[in-house]
Amino acid sequence: MVDFEPSKQDLEEVRAQLTEKLGHIARSVEYVPGAGILVEVPVKRIREAVKIIHNDLDAYLRTVAGVDERPVKGVFSAYYVFGLDSKHVNIIVVAYMDSDKPSIPSVVDIAPSADWYELEMYDLLGIRVEGRRLYRFILPEDWPEGLYPLRKDVAYNIRPEPSLRSREAISGPRIPVGPYHPALHEPEYFELYVEGERVVDVRYNGFHVHRGIEKLGESRFTYQQVPFLAERICGICGFVHSVCYTQAVENAARIDVPERALYIRSLVLEVERLHSHLLWIGVACHLLGYDAGFMHAWRIREKTMVLAELLTGSRKTYGINLVGGVRKDINRDKIGKVLDTVKWVEDEFKKLVEVITSVPQVVKRATGTGILPKHDARAYSVVGPVARASGLNRDVRRDYPYAAYKEVSFKVPVYSEGDNLARLLVRVDEVLESIEIIRQLLDQLPQGPIMAEELEIPEGRIGVSSVEAPRGEDIHFIITGKGRPYRWRVRAPTYQNIPALKVMLKDAPLADAPLTIASIDPCFSCTDRVVVVDARTRKRRIISLRKLSKINCIGCLI
Amino acid sequence: MSLLKPFKLIGIAHRSGVVTVRYPFQPPLVTPEFRGRIRIDASKCIGCGACVNACPSNALTLVDDGERRALNYFIGRCIYCGRCADVCPVGAITISREFELATDNIGDLNSRVIHYKATCSCCGEETTATERMISYVVSRVPVTETYVHMGSRCRKRRFIEGLMMGRGMIYGESER
Repeated sequence: MVDFEPSKQDLEEVRAQLTEKLGHIARSVEYVPGAGILVEVPVKRIREAVKIIHNDLDAYLRTVAGVDERPVKGVFSAYYVFGLDSKHVNIIVVAYMDSDKPSIPSVVDIAPSADWYELEMYDLLGIRVEGRRLYRFILPEDWPEGLYPLRKDVAYNIRPEPSLRSREAISGPRIPVGPYHPALHEPEYFELYVEGERVVDVRYNGFHVHRGIEKLGESRFTYQQVPFLAERICGICGFVHSVCYTQAVENAARIDVPERALYIRSLVLEVERLHSHLLWIGVACHLLGYDAGFMHAWRIREKTMVLAELLTGSRKTYGINLVGGVRKDINRDKIGKVLDTVKWVEDEFKKLVEVITSVPQVVKRATGTGILPKHDARAYSVVGPVARASGLNRDVRRDYPYAAYKEVSFKVPVYSEGDNLARLLVRVDEVLESIEIIRQLLDQLPQGPIMAEELEIPEGRIGVSSVEAPRGEDIHFIITGKGRPYRWRVRAPTYQNIPALKVMLKDAPLADAPLTIASIDPCFSCTDRVVVVDARTRKRRIISLRKLSKINCIGCLI
Repeated sequence: MSLLKPFKLIGIAHRSGVVTVRYPFQPPLVTPEFRGRIRIDASKCIGCGACVNACPSNALTLVDDGERRALNYFIGRCIYCGRCADVCPVGAITISREFELATDNIGDLNSRVIHYKATCSCCGEETTATERMISYVVSRVPVTETYVHMGSRCRKRRFIEGLMMGRGMIYGESER
């Protein structure tokens, strides 16, 4: 059973629509099973194509993958993957660029969520994006100019001499303590510009620990080793990435995965969602100064961690996924234990939620803060609970079913308020839905093998796969190669959600910032530092998010 | 009434009691399925390197040194995925539940199996296979016995010689 296929009727409709609207610019429109409808346009006309698909067809930008296809096709290419939720199909716009001086017009004014993707293409592949400001985004400052790591002629293990050209010369000893300090949690930080207590602007500075995972997967690992690497993209929702990768390869190669394996994947994904949401609810309570709630959320979460270990062999980074199926089967004994655990979790969680939602400091501080209006949510193509709390009815599990999700029924909680409370409630509802899904999956669990027998992966195929992670939609784009992926593009959910923080934080009181930042559930430790800049005096103070959550008066800071 | 609701937590806390264990004074909470470090059974290992190919993190490596070949396991790189145990053709690798691996001596993190390479029955040079690999192949496929004891160079030479000795037609020999 291969991944979900859109219905013939939907496909024909979208194809007719595309041919009608894009007929004058598109070189070809074809359906690629396992990926979506592939539209090739000349690079000069990419803006028109994106405008039509993003604005007229109401599709949202899911990811952009720049590829160095010089060894194969003699060109650079950019794949824009759009999702058309209503028709359950991806539209992939591809433009080929000149191999000497690759450049492509910017589409950021049409689809604001393209911002990071374009910067990344410029930084890692050296594709010039015309009509916008380009700057170093992912690579460190001292990375030499003109060395683009994702190009195929650059080895994966080079260690270039640091060039200090771009740095200002500073005399005297320097002690680098700050957002880049190696002893800190993941170094990712926000600069909040404030006037008095009000946040006037936000700047995000990330990618300090970019590990080059895509490059590694494309050059050192083999197909069956990458799932273990993919799992280490995130420390909380790692299984999501390994499922997403394996599905992308399976889609590209049209591998029939046994049904039992799909059910086990779904089951483990839901267990992962349980622990992730319980973690988040705990952290949110902690940030609001309600540590009792934090302790109890994590007490409940602990049971799901033990459950995960029983099912997979490890509390986190489960390591049970391979291209073609899963490695670990479940038996009657385990099914009983899962049912007992989810029953216990459900009872305890309901009691706890009743308490949490009645605590005044939680409810009052979460209500009406960090609002993300629906139109902004759409413009930034936000995903997951953030989208659903802003009235966007979007859930990959339902819209692009994968694994065993088309066999189960569940509700997708949607709130229209767009504030922190809505994001909290979405997650609360999702915990209960997950428990229901787990019960249904175990009830219907089919018998049979858990690993596909034939694993043949032809070269040059395209595969796209998405998974609803606890934080939102995760999407992997793959071009198959010899023994390993030729191009492996990962887009994690937080990547899509962070740009929208600008909207949520603007004009809000500083004291609400920690919760608002946390409310998108960024891999949390990533955002553990905040810089507060007073817009009037230009004074800077760096404080930790924890400290910021404890103060309620800006006067204590500056 | 709703003002009193937050106090329900006291009841919840009272009922759940203490949930942490006094580790290390009490045994850790580890399920039977837990994957810890691996153990390599040196008496079974044939040194084929299947585990090395499967290992995603390079914790298992093969080191060749003339007549010997070592299979080295370095815990510092191990991600405890257990793929090596999946692919081992002779079942020499088992996954243990040991996880308390911290040490102040890096030597404790390395363990290895030393193999001796087979010598070519024809020229006497070391072949690329270990002795155990060859006996494994012989036990599995007895027909190959004549060629299996030769190194790859001698095997090729033998093959060409065989051809030249009249099995099949020779178009002619080019001059040296």
